[in-house]
Parts: sequence; C-alpha cells; structure tokens
Amino acid sequence: MPRPERTLDFVRRSNLIVPLIDDVHLPSRAPGSDAWKSRPDAVTLDLEDGVPESRKAEARAMAREVIPRAAAGGSEVFLRVNPPYLHADLEAGIWEGVSGIVLPKVATAQDIAAAGDGLQELERRRGIRAGSLEIIVLLESALGVWNVREVVKASPRVTQVGLGERDICAGIGVFPSSGHDPLEFARGRLIIEATAAGVQPVGIAHPLGLVATDPGRDEVFRLATDGRNMGFKGVMCPYSSWVEPVNAALTPAPELVDYYTQVREVFAQAVAAGTAAVPFAGRMIDVPVDEWAKDVLRRAAACQARDDGKRRALEG
Amino acid sequence: MTRRAVRRSGLTMPVNTPRFVDRAWTRGCDYINLDLEDSVPEWRKPQARTLVRAAIGNVSKGRAEVFTRINHDYVQADLEAIVWPGLDRVNYPKAETADEIRKLDRIITSLERERGIRPGTVQIGANIETATGVVNGYEMASASPRIVDFGGGTGYDMSRDLGVEMFVGFDQFVYSRGELELAARVLGLEPTNTPFVANLTGSVSDTDRAFQEADAARKCGLRHGSGLHPNVVEPQIRGLTPPPEEVDDARRVLETYRRLVSEGKAWEEVDGRVVDKYEARRAGELLEWTEACAERDRDKAEAVARTKAAEEREEST
Repeated sequence: MPRPERTLDFVRRSNLIVPLIDDVHLPSRAPGSDAWKSRPDAVTLDLEDGVPESRKAEARAMAREVIPRAAAGGSEVFLRVNPPYLHADLEAGIWEGVSGIVLPKVATAQDIAAAGDGLQELERRRGIRAGSLEIIVLLESALGVWNVREVVKASPRVTQVGLGERDICAGIGVFPSSGHDPLEFARGRLIIEATAAGVQPVGIAHPLGLVATDPGRDEVFRLATDGRNMGFKGVMCPYSSWVEPVNAALTPAPELVDYYTQVREVFAQAVAAGTAAVPFAGRMIDVPVDEWAKDVLRRAAACQARDDGKRRALEG
Repeated sequence: MTRRAVRRSGLTMPVNTPRFVDRAWTRGCDYINLDLEDSVPEWRKPQARTLVRAAIGNVSKGRAEVFTRINHDYVQADLEAIVWPGLDRVNYPKAETADEIRKLDRIITSLERERGIRPGTVQIGANIETATGVVNGYEMASASPRIVDFGGGTGYDMSRDLGVEMFVGFDQFVYSRGELELAARVLGLEPTNTPFVANLTGSVSDTDRAFQEADAARKCGLRHGSGLHPNVVEPQIRGLTPPPEEVDDARRVLETYRRLVSEGKAWEEVDGRVVDKYEARRAGELLEWTEACAERDRDKAEAVARTKAAEEREEST
C-alpha cells in the first residue's frame, strides 16, 4: 500500500516549492539544495512554472543530484512535473529518495491514470517499491474542481489535493482582490470531497492562495490557522519564510494539548460515575468532544514524531 | 395537504437521566429527543434502552413530539427498544449512505407491523455529521419516504471528521450546509439547517445567541431548531415564530393584492414597495406558518394545563 490505512493521519504540514534552476532569490550552486534549512516537512523540486521553457532541460539535468541534498534535513522530496512533458520529467526526476510527484493542471481521472502508469513503470525500472510513489494533485481549472470526486478516487497514490487558485481565477476570468473571496465554494467542495475520500486537502485561507507576495510571519500564521480550521492539512509554500509559521499553525499548540489532556481526564471520571456529559471550563464534554480530544493528542504526537525525525536526520 | 411540521425547538437529553426526562414535558419545546447515543456511556446503553418505552409517554405529556436518537452501530438493538406507539421519529447519527437509510426503513417497517403502529408513522431523521455524509446527501435524503426534513453538515462530529477546532468565529461549513439544504429543497423536504451565528464560547445555554440564530433562520426561510439546554427553548420559539408586526404586514399585503386582482392590476407600489403575486404568496405562507405555530402552541398549553390538573387531583386524593 502506498499509504497508511488512515491517510489523514500522516504529517505533511509544509511543502516548500523551489525551482530546479538558479534563481535570484536562491543563489546557490545546486538550486534547491538549501531548501531543507527552513525545516519543511516536504520540499517540492519544481520543473513546471518555476522554470522557463528554455531551461527545462537544464533543470531536469539537476534533479538527480539535488534530491538527496533536498532531503538532508529529513524532508520528503517531491517533483513538480509538466503534464505535457510527463515522461521526460519522470525519467529525469524519479529516483530512489523521491516520495512522489506534484501533478498540476489536473482536470480528470484520466490525468491521474496517465501519471500513475508512468510512476509504476519507473518504480519497476529503478527498484522503487511498487505503489510507493505518491501523487499530490493540484486542481487548476473549473473542470478540475467539478471533477474533484473522480480525481481523488482515481488512484490510491493520491494522498493530497489542493487548488491552484491563481490558475482557476485566471481561467474563469476573475481578477481577485483580497477583500472578496471568489473561491469559497471551490475550497469547501475540495475539503469535503477530499476528506470523504481519505485524501488530505491542502491550502490556506484567502487571500494567501492568490497573492504572490510574502505578507509576513503573523499573517501567514493567522491564515494557515484559519485554513486548518477549514479542514486543510498542509500548505504548499512558495517562500521558505512560510515554512515556520505554517508548521506552527498546523501543529496543536501546547496549551491546546494541556486543555485536551484535562478534557480526557474529566470525561473518564464522568463516565466512571455513570454519565457521558459533564461540564468543564464552561463547555459540555461528551463523547464527540472526548473523541476530538483523542484526535488532537494523536495529531500532536504525530507532529512531534515528524519533528523528531527531521532533527535526527540533521544529527545523523 | 398536510401542514408543515412545527419543530422550532427540541431538547436532546440522555434517556437515563431522570431529572431531565421527568421535567421534559414542562419545557414547552415542540419536540423532545431522547438520546441513546453520545450522552449515554457505553456501559449504560443496555439499561438506557429499557427506559425509552416509558419515557415516550412521560415526555409527551405536554404534547411535544417524541424522537429518539439511536447509535450508528447498534441499529437493530436500539430500534427494537424504541419503536413503540407514540414514537414520532428515529434520529440516526453519522448517516453516511443510502443503504443505511434503507436498512433502517426496513427494520422500522417490520417493527411497526409487529407492534400495531400505523405503517409509515415513524419518521427517520438522517443526521449528516461527516464529509462522506455530505457527499452522499442527496441519495440519502431520497432513500426513504420516512425522511421529511434534512440538513446538518455542522457540529462536533463534522468538525472532528474535518479535523477542525470549533468556535473559531468564521463559518467553516458554508459548503456542506449549502449542499444539504439544496438537496432538501430539491426533494421538497424541510431544511433543518441554521445559518451561521458565531459562537466563540461553545455555550449551549446562551439565550441571546439562541434568539439571534433562530431569528436569522426565520429570515432565511428556515424553520427548524434544536438545543441541549432548557434556557434556549423560549428564545428559539420566539425567533422562529413570525413577530406580530410581520403578521400585520402580511395581512396588509394580502388585502392589497386582493384589491389589485379585483381591479384587474398585476402590481402596485405601496409605501415604496411593490406588491405583486410573489409578495402575496410570501405573505400567504407566512400567515399559514403563523397559524401552524399558534395551533401548536395552543395544543401544548392545553396539554400542559390538563397534565398539571390531573397531577394535582392525584395529589389531593
């Protein structure tokens, strides 16, 4: 199986996208090599929109060398491919050490099937465990949003799905302003359909899916928190400065962990005394609240384990 | 034509807590929802089941309708314990598929037959509390004629399914609420949704908030309320019942429209507002709803008075 039984349980809070070519923002001999330094849960090496057409070949040639360096801090490594050049991109970029691809411009289940066939073939040829390569789907058109149900169910490789908000807006002729959120429905549909299918929805609250600037730490933290409270489980980060606030926003805070630890104790006492509804700190604690407390504590432990894993990767 | 059910306010209570159950008939709500699910601890469920039959008669002494919320995982045992004369409805939590609803319908149908209940009496309330439930909403809502109203897609279980904290001050459920209300409207069912009114504390007894929510619901064409605390019954009923000034206004609109018809006119502007057949229909519906509410309130008041008188007689003998 390419993913655990409960897909929603894995931790991939921040996924930092870096182009596989030299960039004024990332001056480095091997582009993407330094991405792990901001401690993202995942790094996506971009062959698509971050790379101009004329430099695609140059970028592909970098992939194999950069993958282990991008993973130096224990980050998972993904490759964002160009759907029109799917085979060339997979051929150049799928090596041991890659967790999977970010597949943009997805509109139908056939798009997933095509990518899945390519991944299966490379798993076989390069000795990668069969079925292990994942697909992070980006829906970037009205058609993609409409077909979200068939897309998320198209393959067990699909573990996360998000919207390409800027592409969608361009496609439907919306010129977004930060005051009005044109994608409330699309985001809601994505979250419900993905969750129902056991796939993690990724994204951030409006307007950060649309604005191509870095609004600063506090704003990223606030809107990633709102996104978490809509149901998002991760954020594709265009800047390394987003990684820390995104990780923080998508990790249960210590005070929340304390609160829910107490909730569990109070509820257990109430059940032993014969009732399953008990007031605590101004709220009624019953089975759903206790179940939620369990979820929060489990999530906190999983985040802790992920952070420990990244730390060990650095020490080792 | 059957009148729309009046269910502005209903309290959910654990069936095994006598201090709630014994006073339920005095609370004035339109229905009582006896709970076998989340408010009853696992180990007390077998005993709680045995209490439902008597509780049905007990809580309906004030003419509240009687619902029972069963457990998603104990459908057979729970239904056998609760489908008795006087039960109006089974609430089925965490409903996710049309097959689940059809299974419920089959069991209820056979229990109605065995126990001399008129076929089709017991309704099914499908509580939508997961993303899967929202995705399958339309199929479920059309799976049984016992479903007469429909909605949900919010609340604790929904939040847990999405992995979100509640009480965050913005509407987290726009899409699911919208999807389910649309399914209800398409199928001619009463939507049970309520509009988003921020609740930052999670309080279940806030009377101001209860009124705001009910008032907003009425203004959105919604008529359903539910609650956990006796304090919210009165504000919910007040918020979902048309206030006198709206009733007067509706009467004036109807009078104006009748006059227009007799004069051969389609519309007229009165005090800066157009009166036409749409406004007349809206006014007519409002008056019907007002009358249904008034009738329901009279029924309940008479039943409460009768019960009190009977109990006093019993005490004096």
